[in-house]
Amino acid sequence: MMDFFSPDFLFRNAVTGGWIVCVMCALLGVYVALRRMVLLGVALPQAGAAGIALVFLLTHHGGDEETSAHALALGGSLVATFATLGVLVLGGRTGRRTPVEWRIGAVLAAASAATLFCVALNPTGDLEMTSLLRGELLAISNRDLLLLAIVAALVLALFAAFRRELLLVSFDAEFARTIGRNPARYDALLYLLLGVGISVGVMTAGPMVVFGFLVLPALAALRVTSHLGATFAVAAAIATLSSLGGFEIAYRADLPAGPVYVLLAAAIWLLVSLGALARRRLATAALVVLALVTLPSCGLLRTPDERAAEPAPAGSLPDLAGRAIAIQPFRNDTGQSLRLQSANPLDELGHALGRPADAPVTVLDVLQAHAARELARRGYHVAQGDSPPVNLLGTLSVFSRKADDPLHVRLELALVDAASGTVLWRGEARKPVPVPGALTLAEVAQDAAPAIFAEAFAAR
Amino acid sequence: MADALIRVEDASLGYPGRVVLRKVSLALRAPEFVAVLGANGSGKTTLLRSLLGFLPPLAGRVERAPQLRLGYVPQRETLDDLYPLTGRDVALMGTYGDVPFWGRVGKRERDRMRAALAACGATEFARRRYSELSGGQRQRVLISRALASDPQVLLLDEPTAGVDREAEQAILGVLARLRREHALAVWIVTHHAEAVRGAVDRVVHVDAGAVTEGGPA
Repeated sequence: MMDFFSPDFLFRNAVTGGWIVCVMCALLGVYVALRRMVLLGVALPQAGAAGIALVFLLTHHGGDEETSAHALALGGSLVATFATLGVLVLGGRTGRRTPVEWRIGAVLAAASAATLFCVALNPTGDLEMTSLLRGELLAISNRDLLLLAIVAALVLALFAAFRRELLLVSFDAEFARTIGRNPARYDALLYLLLGVGISVGVMTAGPMVVFGFLVLPALAALRVTSHLGATFAVAAAIATLSSLGGFEIAYRADLPAGPVYVLLAAAIWLLVSLGALARRRLATAALVVLALVTLPSCGLLRTPDERAAEPAPAGSLPDLAGRAIAIQPFRNDTGQSLRLQSANPLDELGHALGRPADAPVTVLDVLQAHAARELARRGYHVAQGDSPPVNLLGTLSVFSRKADDPLHVRLELALVDAASGTVLWRGEARKPVPVPGALTLAEVAQDAAPAIFAEAFAAR
Repeated sequence: MADALIRVEDASLGYPGRVVLRKVSLALRAPEFVAVLGANGSGKTTLLRSLLGFLPPLAGRVERAPQLRLGYVPQRETLDDLYPLTGRDVALMGTYGDVPFWGRVGKRERDRMRAALAACGATEFARRRYSELSGGQRQRVLISRALASDPQVLLLDEPTAGVDREAEQAILGVLARLRREHALAVWIVTHHAEAVRGAVDRVVHVDAGAVTEGGPA
């Protein structure tokens, strides 16, 4: 996690946003568990995801209007979540009562199908939506993070301010009435907080992470605590450990973050539950041991940056006798824009490459960044100035992939003496590159780049 | 109202579209210890919920003294064991009605809670988890909670159900003492006529949709 404090760490927003969502959901989840509303915790995030998918479809998300699309998607998530709350909560108070499980089952089935249906129909936004459903946490812009932090702070402030009333009406609504507290009013407040928290959580981390953290930390905390205050504290601690530890594991092992977060929280819940069968103290000790073991053990894995920093053979590259290489902007002959749509990490990448803030980031930018890194691994000095003695020129003429096929690519590279114009070296990459698991164009470029340069520099 | 804390006059009690009790007339005064007796399904709980104000009268009148403070003890089976609460956490809830959401539970409220636990002989259960207490111990904690709300009337729904004879007598003893020492109107709903005989001042019978006031128990 030390990378988190590095100024060029690209995933700071993702780590922070994921942590906020996990802790917020874990705290709200204590009442989801205590009030036996776990099924509601499944249905609401799925409904929120359906609302986002519908908005993405209606607004043809994937174009240039990312700001308005995000706002609309948040609106879609809020509307769908509160509509579902209306069906599930208010629906039981009118007419002939039906078991709430029936309504939750119907809503869950409809929301799941609607989500996939909207994704399938969306010609432009399916990759981003699928990424959201998988629990990818990479694309959180500064604006989205600020919005998330404000909403989470408001939700948790109200949650804390009315903690006594929420406990009272949850534990014994009739007694609450006799001392002047209206249960319906505070039930509405709890549902409001749940609805808002789940809506912004789904926008940020997807339904799987939100549901996982509404349930698992609270269930684990309730096994080992005897006071409600301690339950909230332990649930927040488990959420923090699961999200930060989960990100560390996901980052180092190149795994999707959301599922790792949830699996780590599930592992803690399992350990705690097993421990609680024996002794409560044992479970607490297990938590501490897990905390001590999990994070250091991540050191056994290498981060992508660490892997990329390992030395590599020079291959066919010439000996430049210490002369610096400047990466010149690659030429795009593919006939496509190759523009990347994801928000914040790519903005930072563009900024690192010296591009204006409003300039689109493309596959070429990703390849240029990788070229610099791969040359550095081979012992070459990559210069930042405008007039170094050797230029790396590149021309990308093919970069296409259909469905799950390998990426078809053709990248021609040349090292040219800037003073004389003499070509010192030529290299080419044209082999198809398998990129399993890559959903977005950014992921395709990131995953394929090492193989492309390994071939071009003939290191294999 | 005269000196009655709650007066029911010629009231029909029940649920919208369904009258359970007809022509009910009675009064709650302090101090007194009253048992509402009746078979299961006779309408005892309907009467209790009407006295608490949960069910408005379908006809007639139910009047309460101004600023009347009610202490309610529900059937303990209605409370979920999942909650990680100690006896003192539960008893302290009785003071929440006097603390605004922006306020803190202070020394005054904690003193009230401790006094209520002591009055009910429940001090030793204060630090134990509520869900791990026996039926009789839980009942004492719930009575403490009601007492901590500083009530004038104490209404209890089947407080001796599911407890052994010894615990039953202990609970009735606590209630009789509260009536005497705190000058409360204590009304308990029960179907154990034998248990309350000799312990209460008078009984009220609920049967076949009618409520009749009996004499001394």
